[in-house]
Amino acid sequence: MEERVMRVMRKGALSCSEDTSIREVAQIMWVNSAHYCVVINQSHEVLGIISARSILKAFGRDLRQVKAKDILIPYTFTITPSTPLKEAIQLMDKRKIEHLIVVSDRPGSKAILGLLHIEDIVDRMAQDEER
Amino acid sequence: MDRDIILCYPHDSVKEVVHMMKANQFRPVVVAHESGEVWGLVSRLAVIRFYGEDLERTRAEDVMRPYRIEVDPQWPIETAIELMKRTRYEHLIIVDPHAGPMRPIGILSSFDIVRYMSGIETGHYEQILKMPQEWSIPSP
Repeated sequence: MEERVMRVMRKGALSCSEDTSIREVAQIMWVNSAHYCVVINQSHEVLGIISARSILKAFGRDLRQVKAKDILIPYTFTITPSTPLKEAIQLMDKRKIEHLIVVSDRPGSKAILGLLHIEDIVDRMAQDEER
Repeated sequence: MDRDIILCYPHDSVKEVVHMMKANQFRPVVVAHESGEVWGLVSRLAVIRFYGEDLERTRAEDVMRPYRIEVDPQWPIETAIELMKRTRYEHLIIVDPHAGPMRPIGILSSFDIVRYMSGIETGHYEQILKMPQEWSIPSP
């Protein structure tokens, strides 16, 4: 049976507001040992994600002045809990990103349900090999 | 902070690489020749492409990103960050010219740079690099 994202995803996600400074975003990521930070607006809708690699875009600028909304990777694609895991992996590979935001299957919904982490996919691959 | 770099041989299977990653906080694996020379790096994105496939049929050397850019530990950190931005590499293998030809001594990751951007004002690789506590190559 085809594996779905819901079997591997983690509920919840580390997030910050769109006006958070990049200095603070870096601190949030570092303190939480998170390689990502989801960016949301005041209505708690997902705007995008900042990864450990994409945050480098702000390097060389005043990190207290640059805001999360200035460098986020726009959230222009979706995966849901019922997305086949293989399809999500292809999306990660194509976009070269290690975390995918999981939203509700409900049409138009932009509420975060959780995140698909690349570590959990590697873990699943190791578990499959042990079976 | 765990300071070891994870090493495998070019002929090790992706299955072995996956288990190495799992045993080491899912960090990337450096591919090194038996002589100790660095050949490349296997990223997590490189291994998940093989999800659902027979992991024993593919070797580390088939999926690694070949090591081509020599990064010296004495470079200013700013130079490395610019290199990461330009190449879009998530990790840079650091080679110490004094340790021997093409000998990896650590990995600089974009997450190390996050720490740097979070408040460390100045520094070189030595301050934030994941340095191995004991340099060793796994026995064949």
